[in-house]
Amino acid sequence: MANHDDHAVEALPPTPGERATGFIKRNDVARTIGLFVAYTAIFIILGKYFYPKWMPTIMSKEMKSAETIMIWFTYISAPIAGIVLSVATNSFLNAHRGDTPPPDGPAIRTNGPIVVLWTVGSLLFTIVAIVWGLLEVNSQAVAAANDAKSAITVEVTGSQWLWTFNYPAQGIETHDLNLPVGVPVIFDVKSADVNHSFWPVQLGIKVDANAQVTTVIHTTPTMVGAIEVKCAELCGLYHAYMETNGAVMSKTDFNAWVTAQGGHTA
Amino acid sequence: MSTLDKAPASARPVPNPKRSLITRLHMGTGVVVGVIFALAAYYGLHSLYTTYTDKVADPLSSHDNNIVLLGAMLSWSVGFMVGIGAFIGPWRWLIGKDLTDEEILYLAGDGQGTKRYFKYCTDHKVVGIQYLVGVMTMLGVGGTMAMMIRTNLARPGAHFVTPVVYNSLVGLHGITMIIAMIIVATGPFGNYIMPIMIGAYDMAFPRLNALSWWVLFTAIPVLCSAWFLGGIPTGWTAYAPLSTQAGPGMNSFIATIIIFAVSTAVAGMNITTTVVAMRTKGMKWNRVPIFVIGATISVALAIPAFPTFMLAMVQTGLDRTFNTGFFDANMGGSGWLYANLFWIMGHPEVYVILIPGVAALMEIAPVFVRKPLFSYNAAILGFAGIAGLSVLVWAHHMYLAGWAPSLNGPFMVTTEMISIPTGLLFLVLIGTIWRGKPWLKLPMLSVFAFIWDFLIGGITGIYLSDVPADNYLHGSMFVTAHFHFTLMGAALTGAIGGLAYWYPKMTGRMLNERAGYISFWLVQIGFNVLFFGMFMAGAEGQPRRVIDYAAFYKNSNLVSTIGAYSVGIGMIVLLWAVIHSWNKGKVAPMNPWGAKTLEWTVPYPVPLTNFDELPIITSDPYGYGKGK
Ligand SMILES: [Cu+2]
Repeated sequence: MANHDDHAVEALPPTPGERATGFIKRNDVARTIGLFVAYTAIFIILGKYFYPKWMPTIMSKEMKSAETIMIWFTYISAPIAGIVLSVATNSFLNAHRGDTPPPDGPAIRTNGPIVVLWTVGSLLFTIVAIVWGLLEVNSQAVAAANDAKSAITVEVTGSQWLWTFNYPAQGIETHDLNLPVGVPVIFDVKSADVNHSFWPVQLGIKVDANAQVTTVIHTTPTMVGAIEVKCAELCGLYHAYMETNGAVMSKTDFNAWVTAQGGHTA
Repeated sequence: MSTLDKAPASARPVPNPKRSLITRLHMGTGVVVGVIFALAAYYGLHSLYTTYTDKVADPLSSHDNNIVLLGAMLSWSVGFMVGIGAFIGPWRWLIGKDLTDEEILYLAGDGQGTKRYFKYCTDHKVVGIQYLVGVMTMLGVGGTMAMMIRTNLARPGAHFVTPVVYNSLVGLHGITMIIAMIIVATGPFGNYIMPIMIGAYDMAFPRLNALSWWVLFTAIPVLCSAWFLGGIPTGWTAYAPLSTQAGPGMNSFIATIIIFAVSTAVAGMNITTTVVAMRTKGMKWNRVPIFVIGATISVALAIPAFPTFMLAMVQTGLDRTFNTGFFDANMGGSGWLYANLFWIMGHPEVYVILIPGVAALMEIAPVFVRKPLFSYNAAILGFAGIAGLSVLVWAHHMYLAGWAPSLNGPFMVTTEMISIPTGLLFLVLIGTIWRGKPWLKLPMLSVFAFIWDFLIGGITGIYLSDVPADNYLHGSMFVTAHFHFTLMGAALTGAIGGLAYWYPKMTGRMLNERAGYISFWLVQIGFNVLFFGMFMAGAEGQPRRVIDYAAFYKNSNLVSTIGAYSVGIGMIVLLWAVIHSWNKGKVAPMNPWGAKTLEWTVPYPVPLTNFDELPIITSDPYGYGKGK
């Protein structure tokens, strides 16, 4: 039983410093602290290595911010996960086996300071997450407004089970999504039938395609490369196959492609 | 009720009702009358509505056909309830009488053996067992569909099923499991155990209790009929206008939800009233077992949530039958209206599912650690905070719907605030096990499993609550993995823990431990492998609900499928253990775990009115531990 230490500590009239050292030196506490460090490190490593390894090439600011948030929210969650898992593991390692109940543990009904500390801690965590998210949402909205004049527009139409892209300024219509690098692009998205969701994967943005209304999203492709376009809303029989390819290309290549499609360049 | 309330067991009259109608009705007569009603509605509506047939190519998808099918399905449900005798009491009231005391006692099923499980039986313990068997059946069916989905996704190319079948599997797996998870803890344990826990003779409204179960029962064949009517293409979310376009199988879905909402409303009101009004003497609010608090908050949250879903389904039905166009943009309606109604139900609903599972584990932890529940108040604040916030977060499912981008900020704030009460739930559990020596029986193992599973579900939920991350993750396999980690990791783990814990009281036998451990590890390891693979597929960019995927995703999907098979085998082992131990398990003592709640003070079989004399409560049930 670990709790005899507790009575030993409480028997003396200890100073706060002595109490703290006594607490930390207790076997179960020391083990919990060790486990805490290990779990926190594991979560940080998971966030740092898995998400960049799994997620596709970052080809826009929006994609970058999605990945950064996943990594950093893992970091700030790591100590909380560390506390929860270290206490659980420490307790698991003390397990009692057999067919009779274990002896009673200490009758700890609550611990005011711990409850307050925990609540304040999770409040701070929540505030960080909220503020981070709001700033990011705001910066994306500001960028969309600023880029509106210099942007090219692509009208996207989802229909069962095909994406169609219309470039009004260039006067072309295609089923592949090609975009010039470094030029802001505004997608006006609608549906010819049921709901779809327009998802150019590597650009890290997404919006539903609805009938009779146009939804708008914005991004600026930041590097040249291949992109995939998928449908992210169940839209019936061939939902899985409602995908197409495209590319972010240099301005010269883009203009050449537009001309080859019979369109006109600015 | 009145007889049962006042008379101690010794003074009760022996049930000897005249050979009245009430003694002759059972599930069989319910089915017969239900089928008669359904056929009458089918042919009646058919003759009415084929007079002006829709001019559509496929007559099975016509509006007329939808009217006929919906009418037949709902009539089946009403007819079944007539045939099993649910309306005898209300009928007596209409003619100014009531059931006689003998009849009430007969309905309670005393001394009727296994027959009473097939009757309109008002004993809460019978209803609890009915729910338990119902839930296990639904888990079996829903789980089989999950295995078929994962089998199809084991490798690219969709070799196993056709798109029609696949989409139906996705939708029917979804709705079957959602219904099963909603009732998985409050159904069996809320009905069987909870009235004993609070020291009551029965539920507040025993006849409504029977009603809630049998109404739910009538939804099962209706949902199954979807398979024979071409399936459902919409997933369980049933978004419009895909639902308007859908074939006749959609009617089964609509009718199921309408019937289920009635059952939940009745059960929710009954449980809430019972806990508010029927706690025994001395059981003040701060002495109520935490499972009772959790179950009550859960069902109270369900009371406003499910009628919204029912309304949305009635409107979908009207769109499909009378062309009302509520949700069809081409007719001036709005699919966003549907999405809002759906998620106003849908987000509270996940907490309706989650809270009772967590509360069951909070009931279990103190018993097996022999320590008081850490900070009872924090537990209640946690549940209440989650319930309160859960009605303000629904549109985080619609960040990218285009409905109201300017509301994304506010909904992100409310959603992330849920971290705070959720954190309290973790604090209560780790505070309870801190410095204890946990008795590693099956129920306690579930507590540890929950802590890990729900932690992963929680952290991944924080990414999803954040709009810029959701920009990428929404609609991907990552979301599917996240909500399985929360719902399965919390509600199912909690319910399995609760089953292992209360099994001795519900069956008089101990659950086979060896099989229980094997099942536990197969399910938990398999579960983590399964959804690790799915997180990976989602992060890599695989959309959810797809029948097929590019070769690029083959590793993550194979990992998922391997994990799924482990879960499937583990659940079969558990099913075997439950069935086997029911007859052949070790006979359980009255209080095998040494727990302090009231259900362990009554013998097995639990007497009809639970207690001869109601107990008086002087403290909460967590007085474990040395010192103080
Ligand atoms: Cu689509």
